[in-house]
Amino acid sequence: MPPLAQQVADWFAELLRGPMAGLRGADPVLGLALVVLVALIVANALHRHLQLPRLFGYLLIGAVASSAALDLIKRADLDPWKPLIDLGVAALVFELGTRLRPKWLLDNLWLTASCVLEALLAALAVGLVLVALGAPAASACVAAAVAAATSPVITMAAVLEGRPRGQVSERLLAMSAFNSVLAILGIKLWPVWGQLGATPGSDMSSLLANAGVVIFGSLLLGVAGGWVLDRISRLDGQAATMPVLQIAMVILVALLAVALGLSPLMVLLAAGMTARSRMGHRLTVEPHLGSAGAALTVLLFVSFGVLSTLGNLATLWPWVLAIIAARLVGKGVAIAATARPSGLSWRQALALTLTLQPMSSLAVLLVADSFSWRGQLSGADAEVMQALLIATTLMQLTGPLWALWPLQHIARECPDAERSPRDGA
Amino acid sequence: MALESFTESQPLTLGVELELQLLDTHDFDLTPRAEDLLRELVGHEGAWDVKPEITRSMIEIGTSIQRAYIPLRDELRDLRRQMSRAARKLNIGISGGGTHPFQHWSLQQIFPTERFRYISELYGYLAKQFTVFGQHVHVGVPSGDDAMWLLHALSRYVPHFIALSASSPFVQGVDTGFHSARLNSVFAFPLSGRAPFVLTWEGFGEYFDKMTSTGVVQSMKDFYWDIRPKPEFGTIELRVCDTPLHVDKAAALACYLQCICRYLREERPFEPAEDDYLVYTFNRFQACRFGLDGEIVDPKTKQRSKLRDDIIRTLARVDEHALDLQALDASNLIRDSVFDGNDASWLRGLRRRTLPMPAVVEAAATRWMA
Repeated sequence: MPPLAQQVADWFAELLRGPMAGLRGADPVLGLALVVLVALIVANALHRHLQLPRLFGYLLIGAVASSAALDLIKRADLDPWKPLIDLGVAALVFELGTRLRPKWLLDNLWLTASCVLEALLAALAVGLVLVALGAPAASACVAAAVAAATSPVITMAAVLEGRPRGQVSERLLAMSAFNSVLAILGIKLWPVWGQLGATPGSDMSSLLANAGVVIFGSLLLGVAGGWVLDRISRLDGQAATMPVLQIAMVILVALLAVALGLSPLMVLLAAGMTARSRMGHRLTVEPHLGSAGAALTVLLFVSFGVLSTLGNLATLWPWVLAIIAARLVGKGVAIAATARPSGLSWRQALALTLTLQPMSSLAVLLVADSFSWRGQLSGADAEVMQALLIATTLMQLTGPLWALWPLQHIARECPDAERSPRDGA
Repeated sequence: MALESFTESQPLTLGVELELQLLDTHDFDLTPRAEDLLRELVGHEGAWDVKPEITRSMIEIGTSIQRAYIPLRDELRDLRRQMSRAARKLNIGISGGGTHPFQHWSLQQIFPTERFRYISELYGYLAKQFTVFGQHVHVGVPSGDDAMWLLHALSRYVPHFIALSASSPFVQGVDTGFHSARLNSVFAFPLSGRAPFVLTWEGFGEYFDKMTSTGVVQSMKDFYWDIRPKPEFGTIELRVCDTPLHVDKAAALACYLQCICRYLREERPFEPAEDDYLVYTFNRFQACRFGLDGEIVDPKTKQRSKLRDDIIRTLARVDEHALDLQALDASNLIRDSVFDGNDASWLRGLRRRTLPMPAVVEAAATRWMA
C-alpha cells in the first residue's frame, strides 16, 4: 500500500477505535438495536441511490457488524432477540404457505417435474462435485441436501419487497417451499446415510421410523393448526382480530413443533396451506405482520447478516466455488429442460434459475428440528460443513439481489421497479 | 387516408369478440399475464382467434363466422375449455365482467405493441383506465348503405343490450350504483358515443374524409362509437355490451341482436331519423344506471316504459325470426335473464352476502371457467 494511503487507513482506524471499543463493550440488546437503526438508514440510502433491495442493506450491515468483519456483535448476543427472530421467520414461512396452491402442481404436471428435478439435480451436482474434490461421500450427501433448498425466508421477503406479479415469482415461491421440504427429507435421512457405511444390523429401522414421524407428524400438526385457525376465526368473525389470531396460531404451532421434535418449517407451511384452503379470502395475511412486523423483518435480516461465516475461506474457496457453481448448473439444467412444456419462455427460465439461487442459514437450520442455531450434523466432515456454511453466507448476503434483480430486469414482473425510488412510494 | 370500400358479406352472419380478465389466483386482482397465455394458446384447435388487448391483464377472443345459436355457443364453449385448460396450467384465473371490481388503474401495464403504445401516448392515463371488458358483436350486411341504415335503426335497441349484459357494478373497490359502469370509462374518449347520422356509405365516406383531413382520426379504429361499421369485415359492430359472466349468455346476446336485425331488415317497422337520438343518451344512461329496471323513452311516441317490458315486447316481436334463425334457445335464455336479473345483480348479490371483493371475483372466475 502506498505510504499516503496507509496513513489515511491508519488515521481512520485510530478514529474508529474508540467508538468500536465502546460498541463492543455495550449491552448486546442496545448494540443490536443500534445496528438495526444503522441498517435501516443505510438500506434506504442504498435503495434510493443505487436501486438495491433494502433487504440487501440489512444483511450487509449485519455482516459488517458480525465477527466476520468489525466484530461488533457476537452470535451469542442474538440470544435475547431469538424469540422475535423466530417469530419473524415463522410469520414469513406461514405466509409462504398461504401463497401456495397445491392444485397448480396437478394442473401442470411439467411444473411438478420441474420442482422435483431442480432440487434433485442441484443436490446431485453439488454432491458429485464435492466427492470429486475429495469430500467424504456421506458428508457430501448432506451438503447436497442442504444445497437443494432455496431460502424460503429470503424468497418470501423479496417477494414482499418487490411485489412482483407473474409466473416466475409464483414458481419461485412454489419451488422454494417444495425444495425446502425435499431438503428436510434428505437431511432427516442423514443419520441413515451415516449408518450405511457402519456396521450392518444397526438400528437403521428406528432412524427411518423417526424420520417418518417427523415428516408426517409435521404435516399433521400443520393441518391441525390451519384447521383450528379456521374454526376459531368463525367463532370470532371479526376481520380486525385476524392478524392477532394468526400470530397466536403461528407461535403455538411453532412451539409445539419444537416441543414434539417436529420440523417447524414443514408445520408452518402446512398450516398456511390448510388455512388458505379452508378460509379462502377470509384469511387476510398482513404482509410482514403489518408495520410492527416490518421492524421485525429488519431485525431478522440484520441477524442473518450477523450469522455470517467466512472462516477458512482462503483454503476452502475451491469447495465453496464448486458448491455455488454446481448448484447453479443443476438448477439451471432442470429448469431449462422443463421450461417450454411447463409454459415458461426461455427468458423466464433464465430469470427463474437465477432467483432460485439464494441460500440462507435457514437452509442449515433445516437440519435442526427447531430454529435453534445449534448444528445437528454431528459426525459430518468439518471442512465440508464449513465450506457449506461459507457458500450459504455468500448466497445469503447476495440473496436479495439474486431474487429481485432477475424478477425486475429479466422477467420484468415488478412494475414498481420501472419507477425510480426517488419518485416516492 | 380514404375510407376503404365496404366488403360485401352474407347478411346476418355473426362474429363475437370477448375481452376477458386475467386474474391472480391468490388475491384475484388483475395480473399482467397476457403474453404467457397467448404463448400457451399458439396452435390451439378451432377457427377462433385470440389476441392481446390494450393492457397486459386483458385478452381478447374472437369466434369464427357463425350463423346460428347452437354452433356459436358450442364454439364459445370449446374456446372456453381450451383457454381454461391453458390458464390452469399457468395458474391464471379468467373471468368475464365489464370491470374488475377492485383493480387499480395505475398498476396496469400497456401491452407492448405499436398500436397500444400510440393509444397510450395519445390518451395518457385514459388508456390504462380503459382496462374494461366488453363484448363486441359483428353482424354481416351486404353493403355499406345497408350497414349505415341498420346501424341507425338499431340505436333504439342499444339500451336493451346494455341492460341485459350489464356486469360492471363495482369500480376501484366501490359499488358505483350503476349496473354497467364500464361505459363511463368509454365515454371519456373524445370519439365515443353515437355515429353521425348518415344513411349512405357515400355520405359516411364524406364525413370520414373531413375527419381525417382534420388529423383527428387516422382510421376507423379511432372511432369508439356504440355501433360502428367495419368495412373490412363487411359488418356492423355493436360495442355496448359488458362481457357476460358466462359464454352461453354471450352467444344468446349475439343471437338476440341477429333476430332484431332480421326483424328490422325484413319488416322495416320504422325508418331511422335523426330525432331518434334526442332520447338516445337518456335511454342509454337509464340502462347503465338502473339496468333492467331503467325507464326508456320511445323516440317516436315519446312514451315512457320500463326497459324490462320493452325487451319482453321486442322478444315477442322477433320470435318468428328467432324460429327461422334457429335461435329460440337464445331467446329463451334472454327471456329468463330478464326475470332473473343481469350479471350485475348476481355480483351485487354475492357482495350483499358480505363476501370480500376477492371472493366475488373468484366466484365470477369459477362461473366463467366452469
